[in-house]
Amino acid sequence: MTTPEEKPVMIEFRDVHKYYGDYHALRGINGTIRAGEFFSLLGPSGCGKTTLLRTIAGFEDISSGAVLIDGKSMQGVPANVRPTNMVFQSYAIFPHMSVAENVGFGLRKDPRSKPEKAKAVEEALEMVGLKGYGGRAAHALSGGQRQRVALARALILKPKVLLLDEPLSALDKKMREHMQVELIKLQRQVGITFILVTHDQEEALVMSDRIAVMFEGEIAQLADPETLYRRPNSKKVADFIGTMNFVPCEILSEAGGKVEVEAKGLGRVTLDGTQAPPARGETPVVGLRPETLTLLYDGQQASDRATEGVVDEVIYFGDMTYYDVYLGGTDVEVRLSMRNVPGRPILDVGSKVQVAWSPDALVLFR
Amino acid sequence: MKQGLGLRTYTVIYLLVLYGPIIILPLFAFNDATTVAFPLSGFTTKWFGQMLADANLRKALVNSLIVSLSTATLATTLGILAARSAVRYSWPGKGIVMGSIMVPLVLPEMIVAMALLVLLLAAGIKLSLFTIILGHVLIAMPFAVAILSSAFQSLDKSLEEAALDLGETGWSTFRLIVLPLVMPGILASFLITFTISIDEFIIANFLGGGEPVLSVFVFTAFRFPSTVPPVLALGTMLVAFSILLLTIAEYFRRRGVAKAGGKDTGGFL
Repeated sequence: MTTPEEKPVMIEFRDVHKYYGDYHALRGINGTIRAGEFFSLLGPSGCGKTTLLRTIAGFEDISSGAVLIDGKSMQGVPANVRPTNMVFQSYAIFPHMSVAENVGFGLRKDPRSKPEKAKAVEEALEMVGLKGYGGRAAHALSGGQRQRVALARALILKPKVLLLDEPLSALDKKMREHMQVELIKLQRQVGITFILVTHDQEEALVMSDRIAVMFEGEIAQLADPETLYRRPNSKKVADFIGTMNFVPCEILSEAGGKVEVEAKGLGRVTLDGTQAPPARGETPVVGLRPETLTLLYDGQQASDRATEGVVDEVIYFGDMTYYDVYLGGTDVEVRLSMRNVPGRPILDVGSKVQVAWSPDALVLFR
Repeated sequence: MKQGLGLRTYTVIYLLVLYGPIIILPLFAFNDATTVAFPLSGFTTKWFGQMLADANLRKALVNSLIVSLSTATLATTLGILAARSAVRYSWPGKGIVMGSIMVPLVLPEMIVAMALLVLLLAAGIKLSLFTIILGHVLIAMPFAVAILSSAFQSLDKSLEEAALDLGETGWSTFRLIVLPLVMPGILASFLITFTISIDEFIIANFLGGGEPVLSVFVFTAFRFPSTVPPVLALGTMLVAFSILLLTIAEYFRRRGVAKAGGKDTGGFL
């Protein structure tokens, strides 16, 4: 596998703004999406992620700035000649056509002969696991099948970029998880750029090479899933992606890229530059994920640091148990998650515990 | 279900009053007597023969077909434009304009007919079949717009975007996607506006200028006892024809809703 950095730029946003009347939907979007990348636009509803996707497709004019696809400005280029194809949230399967007619719709102006086109349609259907479904009526398909038809219909034109607008949101949980894996495989198989819009952070983490987290028309952070999860650049991003504990702290000193803080209930910690994103003028807190905290059982030793605590709440999840624990005799409560393995009893509320943690897992927000 | 007895009796009486007279119509159309009275004398089809032999009636029938087909075509074409624009685009004054189109639905036809007559005479336009068509388009438009708006509304906007995305132009998208999907609505609109026009009397009488159409012919014929039974025969045929047309229209409307994968929000029937 090559790293995304080596690949050429496929999409470039240059200070993209979009107004709907007085409403400022996109507020200066900058960034690049590389060829062959599985890229996600992630954010809560109304953050502008779908609008941004639609500016790539050509369904939305931009108010200022530029969108470039493969180095060419898309200013004034209508949707029907852009090298992109889209899978719509509603799938937009043409109800008056058969599956094969739907998939072959984009080949209408293709100069190839009829049998050649039919072969292309059959190949596209096979690729999405719908071999032999060509003769079926489109409106008789299930949700998952419709989605596959929409995928085949978009991919048959061999676009440079495939745009996916919340393609999994209409499916049930099992089907969604199944399709996530299938989409990843499909993307590897065809090798083209996939851009996914989703409000589901888990989905974005599972599927993407890189993710742009959007809030209120701006990209808050653009990074690979691991960086986004381990080193969010703001409290807002940290809160949106997974669960994060925030512990009040005091900044003691800052020098040479190192920041020394006194965190309530945890004590004195020195953080390096990657753990301290640029200041935003907020009350300083350190964030730490539930799984980076561990309860110590009898006879176990902390590999790094340990703090005393009292269990306040126990939430049993089958494979996991969540504990809400007050740290070191303070009113600071953190949530930690423990895998339920044999020989590890579920603790009771009120138990006095030792919580092991590592300064390396901390991120400072200020 | 003792509680429901009162309501059920009411329903039965209601339906009898509503449809009883219409059942009388074919009864006497096949009755072998000039007077419309019980007891029935015997079965005959001679009134149908007499009706078809009447040159005036045939003329009225041709006139009516011209008026109704023109009305249906015009009202449906204009309805497509209005409904498409109202459903898909927003423009200043849309509410007022669309409201104005729908107003004839609640205006007394008498008022519409009189107002049009005064206007046409003042403008020096000669009364003819054409002026009837004008009046009929006016009163049929609300029905066309209502049916077609629902047809356009049940059309998912992303279907059109998908067609554009797959390389089609605006016009070919309209032809390949929009038109086939709203076609049932267009047919329904055509059939209903045709039906409205063919049995309309007031406007046809006011604006006809001596050109008889069926409704006017029937009204005139009822004043002479000897022409009543053939007219009953004509009425029987018109009722059968209307029921047929409305059934076809509703069938297409429902099929259209089902085809576009939408939810049936209720039509006229």
